[in-house]
Amino acid sequence: MNTVKLYIRSMGMLLKCQMQYPASFLMQTLAQLIMEGGEMLALVLIIDRFGHLGSWQPGDLYFFFGMMSVTFYLTECFGRGVTGTFPSLVRSGQLDTMLARPRAVLTQVLCSDIDPRRIVCIAVGVTALCIGSRLSAVRWTFAKALLLCEAVAMGVVLILGLFLIEAIFCIYSVKSVELVNALTYGGRSACAYPVNIYPRPLRTLFTVIAPFALTLQLPAAYILDKPLFSWPAWTAFLSPLSGAAAFGVIYALFQKALRHYRSTGS
Amino acid sequence: MSYIEVNDLRKTFVVRKKRARASLFRDKERVEALRGLSFQVGRGELIGYIGPNGAGKSTTIKILSGILTPESGSVLIDGRTPWADRREHVRHIGVVFGQRTQLWWDVPIIDSFSLLRDIYRLPEAAWKRRLDELTDALQLGSLLRTPLRLLSLGQRMKAELCGSLLHEPELLFLDEPSIGLDSVSKLALRQFLQWENRERGTTVMLTTHDMEDIAALCPRVMVLGHGSKLFDGALTDLLSRYDTSRTVTVRFSGKYDLDGLPAGLDVSREGENVIIAYSLRSLPTPVLLERLQRAGEIREMTIQPQNIDHMIADMYREMAL
Repeated sequence: MNTVKLYIRSMGMLLKCQMQYPASFLMQTLAQLIMEGGEMLALVLIIDRFGHLGSWQPGDLYFFFGMMSVTFYLTECFGRGVTGTFPSLVRSGQLDTMLARPRAVLTQVLCSDIDPRRIVCIAVGVTALCIGSRLSAVRWTFAKALLLCEAVAMGVVLILGLFLIEAIFCIYSVKSVELVNALTYGGRSACAYPVNIYPRPLRTLFTVIAPFALTLQLPAAYILDKPLFSWPAWTAFLSPLSGAAAFGVIYALFQKALRHYRSTGS
Repeated sequence: MSYIEVNDLRKTFVVRKKRARASLFRDKERVEALRGLSFQVGRGELIGYIGPNGAGKSTTIKILSGILTPESGSVLIDGRTPWADRREHVRHIGVVFGQRTQLWWDVPIIDSFSLLRDIYRLPEAAWKRRLDELTDALQLGSLLRTPLRLLSLGQRMKAELCGSLLHEPELLFLDEPSIGLDSVSKLALRQFLQWENRERGTTVMLTTHDMEDIAALCPRVMVLGHGSKLFDGALTDLLSRYDTSRTVTVRFSGKYDLDGLPAGLDVSREGENVIIAYSLRSLPTPVLLERLQRAGEIREMTIQPQNIDHMIADMYREMAL
């Protein structure tokens, strides 16, 4: 029984649980749609007012926005255990149970929750991607499609990693997670726009520390046939791997933190 | 070498205390949960682990089941170090926490059991055979389609036991399994644990505050206080040291006169009954009986041993816990 199968079975069970309250589910999904729709409306208004940001045309901006939405909400949908539930797993002692089972803790945490309401946010993101692609008249090739998938996958891994930092703080029972939120939610809001419109410190933050620029935006720029930085074109295919690298480092720290886990009283 | 070898185990928690005045820094206090604990457990033993709250019982269980990492000391269970070989180790053990559930709250318990099959990578046939065996022994059959949240506490404990034993562990840890259970459920729990221990030779280690559990189940008992082992042996040996008082209830026919009884006894009356509490150290039972017979004509009499909980309370007091 491999891990992917376990994950799929867990998701099936969780969905069955959540669908026991259909009215509540519909209401919350609607709320999500309004929220993410609002985000997109803000973009529409900016484009309507200014027309372009630097060299970025309206279609490009929709495309960047779509990339971020799809990636971020895919993470929140399928990685809810890490992005949302982890503190309660620690508080309720469920982490003890996970440690007493013969599976990686991260696997079990991912299997512990799903947030299907985010589907509508992902749909908004896909819509933005389509609009952007149409407006900017993207010439799709097989390589570009592949790059899009790579970028989104690596983006998901990166965002999971950033939320894992919160989990690490949580294991050490540190309450102040706002600092990490600046990277996760802050990263989502800031990097829905191409980073080269920002001043240098912010650009560095989202290129080196939380490399959204490398995982999502360099590929987006390549697909749009416009330079984000003055780097050779092929770098767009390699740079997303920085997401996996960041995740690897953070995951090692997470494993180390588990050694220091103190559990809760009986 | 014994099945479980624990040597000089130490664990300290750093507790951050809030200062009285708001401050950036907090005082830290080191709490020694375990101070050099050592013991051995043989394969197939059923061992009770008692001690007052905060003695370090749960900490021991959590270290032995790979959840916590100790500061120093060694643990070898069948040659494995729990925290170092966590995933390999926990494949062979089952853990039940009396105060929290390890199953999924909203789904029928059979779904939880299926997911456990996947988590432990159990072959379908072996899982099914074991599930049938356990549901028989625990009389869970009719509840398999019921979501966990709709079960009573007693039923829930049965489900927890079933879930923690599906992968046929050699070693079962139970942390206060009988907490909150009614008498019927407690009896069922004890019977089941005896059955599992006898039939499969499962080693069982349980913490409890219920001395009846210990008396009924555990040939061997270990007492922990302030992170150290205070006693390790048979329950009867432990109790004989603290079993020092009796209560006698007498009913006389007709008149009686208690003036002839030794001074300093705790005498009370309840209707026709005279209740006398006495210490075996200062007054042997035969002496008291002889005096009572002189006091009047005895119609009925019972002598009660000391309540086991009182003995344990005396013991904790004496050990200054």
